[in-house]
Amino acid sequence: MSRDRETNTPSTLFFIQRLSRYQPLRFTACACCWILYHSWHLIPGLLAKAFFDILEGHPTAGLTFESIVVLILVAGLAKVGTIYGGAITWAPLIFKSQGLLRRNLLTRILDLPGAKALPWSIGEAISTLRDDVEAAGEMTGWVFNALAGLIFAVGGIAILLYVNARVTLLVFIPIAIVMTLSYIARTRLEHVREQSRLATAEVTGSIGEIFYAVQAIQVAGAESNIVAHLRKLGDVRQQMMLRDQLLGLSLDAIFANTANLGAGLTLLVAASAMRTDAFTIGDFALFATYLMQVASYTQFFGYLIRTYRQSGVSFKRAVALLQGASPASLVAYHPLYLRGRLPATTSPINQERDRLNTLEVSGLTLRYPGSEGGIENVSFEIKRGELTVITGRIGSGKTTLLRAMLGLLEPQAGEIRWNNRTVEQPAHFFVAPRTAYTAQVPTLLSGTLRENILLGLHCDNDTLERAIHHAVLDRDIAKLPDGLETLVGPRGMKLSGGQIQRTAAARMFVRAPEILIFDDLSSALDIETEILLWQRLIEQEITCLAVSHRPMVLAKADQILILEDGKISARGTLKELLRTSPEMQQLYIRTPSDGFS
Amino acid sequence: MKKILLREYWQFLWRYLAPQRKATLFMVVLLLTSIVLQLIGPQVARSFIDAAQQRAPEQTLIWAAIVFILVSIAQQAMNLLATYWSERVSWTATNALRADLVAHLIRLDLGFYKTRTPGELIERVDGDVNALAKFFSSFVVKLVGNVLLLIGILVALSLIDLRLGLAFTTLSLLALVVLKRVRQFALPYIRKDREWSAIFFGYIGEVLTSTEDLRSNGAVPYAMRRFFGYLRNWMPVMRRARVLGDTVWMTAIAIFAVGDAMSYWFGGSLYRGGSVSLGVVYVVIAYITMLAEPIETIRVQLQELQRADAGITRVRELLEITSKLRNGPYSIPSEGALSVEFRGVSFAYDDGAPPSDDMAEERKTVLKNVSFKVEAKHMLGLVGRTGSGKTTIARLLFRFYDPQDGQVCVDGVDLRQANIAALRSRIGLVTQDVQLFEASLRDNITFFDASIRDQQVLAVLETLGLHSWLERLPDQLDTLVSGAKLSAGEAQLIALARVLLKDPGLIILDEASSRLDPATEALLDQALGRLLKSRTVIIIAHRLMTLERADEILILEHGQVIEHGSREQLITDPRSTFAELRRAGMGEVLL
Repeated sequence: MSRDRETNTPSTLFFIQRLSRYQPLRFTACACCWILYHSWHLIPGLLAKAFFDILEGHPTAGLTFESIVVLILVAGLAKVGTIYGGAITWAPLIFKSQGLLRRNLLTRILDLPGAKALPWSIGEAISTLRDDVEAAGEMTGWVFNALAGLIFAVGGIAILLYVNARVTLLVFIPIAIVMTLSYIARTRLEHVREQSRLATAEVTGSIGEIFYAVQAIQVAGAESNIVAHLRKLGDVRQQMMLRDQLLGLSLDAIFANTANLGAGLTLLVAASAMRTDAFTIGDFALFATYLMQVASYTQFFGYLIRTYRQSGVSFKRAVALLQGASPASLVAYHPLYLRGRLPATTSPINQERDRLNTLEVSGLTLRYPGSEGGIENVSFEIKRGELTVITGRIGSGKTTLLRAMLGLLEPQAGEIRWNNRTVEQPAHFFVAPRTAYTAQVPTLLSGTLRENILLGLHCDNDTLERAIHHAVLDRDIAKLPDGLETLVGPRGMKLSGGQIQRTAAARMFVRAPEILIFDDLSSALDIETEILLWQRLIEQEITCLAVSHRPMVLAKADQILILEDGKISARGTLKELLRTSPEMQQLYIRTPSDGFS
Repeated sequence: MKKILLREYWQFLWRYLAPQRKATLFMVVLLLTSIVLQLIGPQVARSFIDAAQQRAPEQTLIWAAIVFILVSIAQQAMNLLATYWSERVSWTATNALRADLVAHLIRLDLGFYKTRTPGELIERVDGDVNALAKFFSSFVVKLVGNVLLLIGILVALSLIDLRLGLAFTTLSLLALVVLKRVRQFALPYIRKDREWSAIFFGYIGEVLTSTEDLRSNGAVPYAMRRFFGYLRNWMPVMRRARVLGDTVWMTAIAIFAVGDAMSYWFGGSLYRGGSVSLGVVYVVIAYITMLAEPIETIRVQLQELQRADAGITRVRELLEITSKLRNGPYSIPSEGALSVEFRGVSFAYDDGAPPSDDMAEERKTVLKNVSFKVEAKHMLGLVGRTGSGKTTIARLLFRFYDPQDGQVCVDGVDLRQANIAALRSRIGLVTQDVQLFEASLRDNITFFDASIRDQQVLAVLETLGLHSWLERLPDQLDTLVSGAKLSAGEAQLIALARVLLKDPGLIILDEASSRLDPATEALLDQALGRLLKSRTVIIIAHRLMTLERADEILILEHGQVIEHGSREQLITDPRSTFAELRRAGMGEVLL
């Protein structure tokens, strides 16, 4: 079980080992309970043999049939004890394993450039975080389960060989052959399993999209069509799953049959011996009892093999979600803070060298493969206290420029210098308190308004009030029944678009960044609110980089950068550009003298 | 907390299994055959043993062994087929259930969605229904099949000795009753576990949607802190659910230990009494050992039932939620422009909590006594600050909500009397937030309506001036679209394409132009101009330039109409609020 050559993911066993060692004490306790539990299964067969021997008149070791009855009772109750011990250790063991996997995956996702954090749709990502991790986490106990099963199997065979080697061999060799054949069928199963998980992810993904898009669906009256589409996806998944299950069930059936086959073989092979008492009924009872256990244990081993294989697929998908991080990081050990204090969210302190003097961008390039969108060779400079505005037609690359600069996407080329020092990792550098950024469509989390503005930031009430004032949110908060403590619904649906944007703005302002960066912040706001916001913003004399088309903003800008097809076609103040740039004139053309737009 | 009766299970099952009667019947026949074969097995062994004891010829013994093997093979084959068929039935049934559930949910009022995250709903619809799938497939084969097997064994035991049969029937019944009680005790804890699971994944969904915001605001530690908080709260719930779930199993084992002890005692006593042969003793012990598996399986199935129980309850709860809107009889005509009228409409969003005082009441009311009329084919410009009630007007026109007071009329008909589907098919809405699907461009525009031909879609795109943009895409209409690949402006154009495809009589443009740069907007303006000619339009905007082509202007503030009149009139009247706004705008343009 070495490295999988195809995809370079470490073997499933590697992950299982790592998960096993995460909670050594609990793991050991759990292991002991389950190993004991499995070993206990050797006892009934021995008691059965002793029983029949007593009835036939050859008692063993002074046992009477009454004492057998008592022994059975006692053994049974002791078994319950092992299960209880196993259960109370198993639940937290698995939970913490799954917690660890989810923690590592989430941390990695949040570590990636913000605009490219997921390789698939959100629904599919949730499917991986939920189902694949569940399957993977359940493997934590795999090692001791396998060990326990082996102990039983080896112990059982040893006992049977001791009783009658010939019968044992003649019965168990055919059984072994059948098991091997079924084992070979495993490869086919894995391939099918992958497909069915993909189909499942598509269904979950689709369901997710539907619930995110309910209003649009209702507006379009497309309820039936959407559901028809979902049904289709469901049918595809059904086919995959049935194929998957048929193979699984066939394997199960073969295993289950092996036991009866074994019993029948025993009868066949021992026929002559039984006529002469060389093989007693007690012996047969022993064999039959163990063979009945063999049924469930071959299924158990089959289950172990199957889950091993299937979890391999789950681990692979989890690793895919890591998007390039080392697969070992999936199972790297980290605390889960289930007890004691939760990790503090420290607020980063502004250092002297973080104080912005100049921000220089040179040669920034990001072309999307397969399309003509993106930016190319963009260079500009921002000085402290300046308002820089990026403008251009739809699709000219404005959002891409901001994202590439801030490390929310990875550019193909370009250099960024902060106070003349090169920024090595924009994604980690351009965060609060150096910069604050609001996207075109900001999102909020479920929680209070206060939580959404602060997002874990420690700040005094004055700073918060000021930020709210600058975001022109004070009036709205006054009108809300619970003010700042108002719970914001899923995706901020209780707030209007403008209120969400301004909450996002307050979120930015409260971090007192060196430079404010926003992508068309004002698009959801009406004139008056927007004017107010810009006025309050400009009063603060803060460095600002924004995408906007508002003539008022363009007029106030110290520097305007016009993007055309991803390249900066002109730069300067509004006055200069209206004189020299035809594109600026085009963009500005819709502001006749009777009003602003 | 309601106890789900067996009858309610049955009703639920029946609705989804009835359409597959034949398959179900076939499955039952296979199952019965398999059970009978299973009961025969030990009898063959018994004849073997007795024959061996009586020193029968080897040939007889060998035949007995062969029959035994054949019986077991046949039994497994039947069982396999029965299980496979039940899986089939189950998948078909739960796919139908899943689709029905989604179909039901997406027709609910928007108010329903304010209190639930999509992540949570996914967990309910997918997670809970998946749990039900296991239940459907297991129910017949595993549960019913094993019950029948159990009965078969008890009958066989009774045939050997009535006391045997009675004793073990009592024990089996006792086992089942105790197991049932223990299961019910565990049920609420299992349910709570699933609830926490839904909450947890609801949160994860939100985090995944907000990665950009969280990163750029340095809020990742905060997001992780909340993650740990949820884990910490979930763990004790989950642990209790699992351990209590396992108590069923532990109880079963204790009972079997008693059963085994009893079987040896009975067997031994009967043999000592001379009434049975050794073979029969073997059969007795074999049958009683055989009792363990069906009872265990029933136990496992009961655990699955626990999950399904919780799942069924939650699904039924969802299905019982109905829309507060009642569909009316009147169908809006399918052609022609529509007129709009608001008569004394007052509206507040009902969050369920009654206002605590007059101030709160005032704060919550979004629209107060709003009245205005828009003639067919006219264009109304709606102006007002964010939160003044403009978006609410759009929502009322779509009948996402009904007003508390007054009437909203389209085409002269109070919407409370209108057929909702017909109404919505005639109104087009363009908002700033465009929802896209992971599907082809075509599917995104047509909303998966396969009956709309490509020519229609292409014609619409051409009218919007998007022909060249379409050409640049790698697969044109088949290109896979996702939210991240398109800019917000391009998404807006798709939204317009969706609307134009509908050929509506009323179009509501809700701040549609705000994401487009002025140059591209000019392009669109032309196209829109052509299309808006023979329709009624309500433009909700906060940009005066947008209102240039409006016939009438309506200004809203704090949910009340403060000005309404024709654009010409308002411009020429220097005292009007509209004229004031325009003047204020002028000051901004000073270069």
